[in-house]
Amino acid sequence: MTSLATEQTMSQITGRSVKLQRSIVIGFGLLAALLVLGTILVPGFISPRNARSILLLAAFLGLASLGQTLCAMVGALDLSIPYVIGGANILFPSLLVTGMPAWLAVIVVVLLGAAIGLANGFLSFKLQGQALIMSLGVGFAFVGAVQLYTSIGSDYGGTVFAPVPDWLRNIAAFNGKTFGLPLPPVVLVWLLVALVTIWALYNTWFGRSIYAVGGSRTAAARLGISETKVWTSIHGISGAMSALTGVLLLGFSGGGFVGVGDPYLFTTVAAVVIGGTSLLGGAGGYGATVLGVLVLTILTSLLVGLGLSFAAQQAIVGLLIVPMVAVYARTPHIRNQI
Amino acid sequence: MSQRFGFPALDRSLTVPLVLFAVLLVAAAVLSPRLFTATGMGGAIIVAAPLILTTLALTPIVMAGRGSVDLSVGPLMGFVNVTLIGWLSARGYTSPLAVICWVVAIGALYQLLQALIIIYVRVAPIIVTLSSFLVLSGLNLMVMSRPGGVAPDWMMTWGAGTTILSPVLIIVLAALALWAVMRRTTFYSHLRMTGADERMAYTSGVKADTVRICAHLLGGVFVGLAALSYTALISSGDPTQGSSYTLQAVTALVLGGANLAGGRGGALGSTLGALNMFLISYLLSAFSFGSVTGFVTQMAFGLILVASLLVNVFMTARRTAF
Repeated sequence: MTSLATEQTMSQITGRSVKLQRSIVIGFGLLAALLVLGTILVPGFISPRNARSILLLAAFLGLASLGQTLCAMVGALDLSIPYVIGGANILFPSLLVTGMPAWLAVIVVVLLGAAIGLANGFLSFKLQGQALIMSLGVGFAFVGAVQLYTSIGSDYGGTVFAPVPDWLRNIAAFNGKTFGLPLPPVVLVWLLVALVTIWALYNTWFGRSIYAVGGSRTAAARLGISETKVWTSIHGISGAMSALTGVLLLGFSGGGFVGVGDPYLFTTVAAVVIGGTSLLGGAGGYGATVLGVLVLTILTSLLVGLGLSFAAQQAIVGLLIVPMVAVYARTPHIRNQI
Repeated sequence: MSQRFGFPALDRSLTVPLVLFAVLLVAAAVLSPRLFTATGMGGAIIVAAPLILTTLALTPIVMAGRGSVDLSVGPLMGFVNVTLIGWLSARGYTSPLAVICWVVAIGALYQLLQALIIIYVRVAPIIVTLSSFLVLSGLNLMVMSRPGGVAPDWMMTWGAGTTILSPVLIIVLAALALWAVMRRTTFYSHLRMTGADERMAYTSGVKADTVRICAHLLGGVFVGLAALSYTALISSGDPTQGSSYTLQAVTALVLGGANLAGGRGGALGSTLGALNMFLISYLLSAFSFGSVTGFVTQMAFGLILVASLLVNVFMTARRTAF
């Protein structure tokens, strides 16, 4: 009996990892196919200039998708991400206007983002069925409050003007340089964050706890893993990463605008899903999301190169999601779930 | 038994939205009594109808469970709107019969397609509707690149909202009547069972797939009606505004006491939720916050949403303690 149970669990685990590996193989296949297609169809697709712009855009999406990945791994979705990004994007310059030193302002904004995330995680843990909407409500409240704060005594609601510090501009702008090399430092920041996250997910108690909670709550509880702590802290990480993305996007765009986060609601989910992390929890990882982010960014760049409008790009990305997910993340038929 | 499982169970999930509704009505009566005149009421109905109907469209789909909140419901409403103006009206098909058939058919057919993908391709509903959101938002802009066109002549007077008994009110009442009829069918009890526990429902002989298809079809009909009232409201086509209805409708649904995990919800709650959303923005616009009104509204939505969710938690905690 026990051996049968063990066997079943083992086959489940190998099943999952085979699925994940399949999704990673498919991800690399897609990347290669997109690169070949781009080279054939779009002149100048394989150029340092285009590679730089792809990596830059991927870095922002990648940083914003980190929290979304961790949340998806325990079966949650964080809908507050675009609002925290937008809020941070206008809060940061308005703090600069008050005369706060830039480094301190970054810390304040990121910590505030983390605090919002923690609150969000704590509240949404209490009502798992409605977690999705709770994060949305927290996001609305946060962005509304930030907009109120920034627009008191100003005539421009939602847009904030302040001189962006040169170092921030260099980190995130298209022509930014890392030690003299023509690569914006934000790409390196993403690389570093990605490596640390991937390592930590596999090698730390906290990382394994996320998989455990996502896989089986009962088993996780038996191991002495606090579900509340895991759930709350990953939302905290998500809030901090969103706030950081919002600050970095200011260096990219040069002016604070609250709507800057809007596209990130659906693109972060799309990147997680394309990467192969199940939205139901327990499987996947940030490595998969990095692949998903690259596939999504290169696909968009290809579509832009082909001269497609934003509307057409959106439609095509949407059309591709279902078949891509269907390849490796089909749910079993109901008669096999009983 | 009947007391515990009959009306009181229904009433409890409605307590929060009902209390909120009463509070908001009193506040409106004190702060801005203009709402209670014939024109005020008529205008309110015209403005609130698209949200009420999109929330109603979400209701059966969410009730069917699997966490299948339909993210594409807003863009789908936008799609029906732009095709109605850009394809149908522009080619001269403007008779009321053609228009009504078109909106209902497009809504239902699209939802049928979505249900078939969810059931037979077996991809999680939220992923299917997410991709639908992207596809339809893109398509809407391709059908009509900017707001424009005019609604059929017979619809032009609808948007004025000078009387309470407008055709838009009749559309909303028709939708509620459709729900009331549906509640009396076996489909309704099967819908609730599937939503509460799909495996249990399947093993006790409920055709869960058919239930899901019917839930989507019903949702599609409501989306069509929502698009009709939306077209009357703006008297033209708009490819972008529809998308924002998704988040509003999901919010209204939750404010109305439905559970996104499935099994629980109803037309009355959803209508109340949508009316509460409308009243909140109406009240906030009655104050003069100047240029920051939009931000106050957004913050208030967020805080009220969080608060009503928390109240719901306490209510359910008390219920299980019984």
